[in-house]
This record gives sequence, structure tokens and C-alpha cells, in this order.
Amino acid sequence: MPNAASSSAATVWAILRKECRSEWRTRYGLNAAVLFAVTSLTAVTFSAGRMPDRPDLLAALLWITLLFAALASMSHAFVREMESRTLLLLRLVASPTEIALGKLLFNIAFLLVVEAITVPLFLVLTGAPPVRLTQFLTILGLGTLSLAASSTLVGAVIAQTRSRGALFAGVSLPLLLPVLASGVAGTRAQWDGMPILADVRLLAAYAVALLGVSLLLYDHLWED
Amino acid sequence: MIWRIGIFLWIAATMAVALLVAPLVPVLQETTRVLYFHIPSAWITVVALGWSMLNSVLYLWRRDLRRDDHAAAAAELGFLFCIAATVTGSIWAKSMWGSWWNWDPRETSIFFVLLIYGAYLALRGSIEGEEKRARLSAVYSIIAFVAVPPLIFVVPRIYSTLHPDPIINTSGKIDMDPMIRWCFFSMLVGFTFLFSWLQSLRVRVFRLERRLAA
Amino acid sequence: MDRNWVVLGVSLLVWGLLFTWILRLERRVREVERR
Repeated sequence: MPNAASSSAATVWAILRKECRSEWRTRYGLNAAVLFAVTSLTAVTFSAGRMPDRPDLLAALLWITLLFAALASMSHAFVREMESRTLLLLRLVASPTEIALGKLLFNIAFLLVVEAITVPLFLVLTGAPPVRLTQFLTILGLGTLSLAASSTLVGAVIAQTRSRGALFAGVSLPLLLPVLASGVAGTRAQWDGMPILADVRLLAAYAVALLGVSLLLYDHLWED
Repeated sequence: MIWRIGIFLWIAATMAVALLVAPLVPVLQETTRVLYFHIPSAWITVVALGWSMLNSVLYLWRRDLRRDDHAAAAAELGFLFCIAATVTGSIWAKSMWGSWWNWDPRETSIFFVLLIYGAYLALRGSIEGEEKRARLSAVYSIIAFVAVPPLIFVVPRIYSTLHPDPIINTSGKIDMDPMIRWCFFSMLVGFTFLFSWLQSLRVRVFRLERRLAA
Repeated sequence: MDRNWVVLGVSLLVWGLLFTWILRLERRVREVERR
């Protein structure tokens, strides 16, 4: 029914805007992510120097930095909600899936902003060779999708437990290892001039699977 | 009692025949022996984790805590069998390729599965409240199993790996000497019964824990 | 031939120990269940 669908979309959009506004007000997450990424970048490039001839290391470094920046900053999306008890309020006006979708879209946007700052910085500081733009961005984009999907879901699960921070990273990381593996392989292949199809397929399949299943599960996460 | 002895004898006999009588696979030579333990372990891992996921879905549907018992038990057992598969695989790697661990795509995949279910166990351990724990781990278990098929079945087809032909192919038959095939399937059956036994035991323990806590 | 006997011996031993351990576990479970 067009009405239900459009009101759903409106709800999701409203939640997205609310997330953006909350985040923008304090920018805790953004600051944490960028600070973490820049600091680790600096640490490595300072000690290891430029490495234009090591696409394998560059790829690994990029993804690890992004991954850990994400893990460090994204756990709080749901936690903040639980702590300020606003989740109950939200659930009065929106279904769990709508809430999750809103937060998911926010997480994607969040990651994109972090990457927009971090990736160019990374390329410059490490003296990386020029990237094949479409390939590079495809791999990055697909990886970001999985990162966001996983963080949203794990965040929702973890928010209801006790030991939040460490558990978030501990539970997210294994789920994200396939993304890390294909992301690194694809990024490296793109620098080596090799085909990236295999990695793209795996990344896409994983992102779709993760997104699909998690959207189905959000309705069951909270007690009704 | 009889069937327990049956399981013991079945696996023992299969071991004996496999190690003493069955020929070697030409390409594998002496390392053939490992496949009788390695592949059944990997297979049971998938079965166990699949069973866990199924019960997680059932739990979310019906909210019957007995489903959660099964899901948790199966995940634990899957984790253990995954360790067995990884270790036997590593032994195999050492004798065939000279190194215990190489981050070959197959090796990496099974290691990821190990970590994913390790996280499941960590998650369960950190949640208080039966229903909350059941609900949250059910969600995670379903997500986790979504990752398993790509890791175990898709990765080796996409990335080139040194690992011998994926035996777990649904299509054609394995080109095995009949004796080898018999021993292999026999071990598979034996392991499956072993898993059922261990699973029922573990579920009984869970139920007892709940009864005692009440 | 020799090496296979050794491997068989070790495997049977491990399997035997594992089996005994499982039996013992089951016995304890049964005891607690009876109460």
C-alpha cells in the first residue's frame, strides 16, 4: 500500500535526520573516528615512511585503519539510545525495522564522511601510487556497506548487554574479517593492475546477505 | 548402552580399516590418512552450525527456550569440531606443503568461522537473563550462519587455493577408490552419530542448569 | 605399514579416552537428573 510504504520511508528519513542532528551536535563519534584514523595513520607513516612500492601493505593498512576507526566510533549509536532511554520513545513511533534502517543509513553516511577525510589523507601520507578510481571506489563502497550493516546489527545486539565497548569490537571483528580479506585483496589488485571481479563479487554477496538477513531480524531483537 | 558401544566400535573399526587397509590417494600419498578425520570434522562443523541456526530461527519464532538450548549446544559443538577441522587441516598442510599455516584462502575461511563462533560464545557469556540471552544469541547465530556458506563454499571457488578439490561439491561423485570412499562415508556417519550423542548430552546439561537455577 | 599401526594406536587411544570421558559425563548427568 502506497500509504504505508511512504509513511515508512518518511519515518526512516526522520530517524536518519535525527541521528545526523544528534551526531552533529556533539560530533563525539565523528571526532573519535577521525582522531583514531589520523593518529594511527600518522604513527605508521612516521615509523614506516612512504611505501609507494608496497601495494600489499598499503591495502592492508588502509583497511585496518578504516575498520578500527569504525569499530571505535560506531558502537555508541544504539548505546546512546539505551542510555538516554530514548529508545522506548522511538519505538512508540517507529517499528524496529524502521529504526534500524534509519540508523543503518546514518552509519553509512557516517562512514562515508570518515572515509572522505581519511582516505585522501592516507593516499597522500603514504605516497600511494595513483588509484584506478572506479575500481578503488567500488571496493571501498561495498566494504563500507558491509561495515555499516554489521555495525548497525551488532550495535543493536550489544546495546542490550553489559560489557558494551569491548564486546562490540570482539563480536564485530570476526563478522567483518571476510570484508577485510576481500577489501584488502581487491584494493591491492587494483594497484597491481589485476582483475578485481572475484573480490567485488564476494564483497557484494556478503553485503547483500548481511543487509538482507539483518533487516529481517531487527523485529525480533527487542521484546515486544 | 548397546548403541554407545556401537558408536565406539563403528568409529574404531573405520579407523582401523582406513589406516591399515585402504589404499592411498595418489596425489596425497601418506597424507591420505588425515582426510578421514579432517573432512568429517569440517562436515560436522557445518551440520552443527546449521542446526544451531535452525534452532535460533525456531526460537525467535516460538520463543521456546528448549530451542535456545539446542542452538547453544550445537554452536559449542560446532566450534569444537571446527577446532578439530582446523587442527587436522594444519597437520595436513604441514605434511603436504611443509608449513603449519599459510593463510591459504581455505585455511583463512575456516579460521574466520572459528572466530565468528568464538564471538557467539563470548556474546552468550556476557548476557544475563535467559530470554535476553536466547534472543540476542539467536539473532547473532542467524547472522553468523549467513557468513558460513560464503566462507566455506564460495571462497575456494573464487580464490585459487592449494587445498585439494573441494570435496563438498553437491554435483558429481568424488573420484575415489571405492575402499577409500567407503571408509570416508563410514567415518562421516560415525561422526554424525557422535555429534547427535554429544548434542543431546549438552542439551540435557543445559536443561539441568535451568532446573537447578530455578 | 609400521607407521600406520602407530597412527592407528594413537587414534584408538585418543578415541577410547574421549569415549570414556563422554560416558562418564553422561553418567554424572543421569545422576543429577535423577534427583
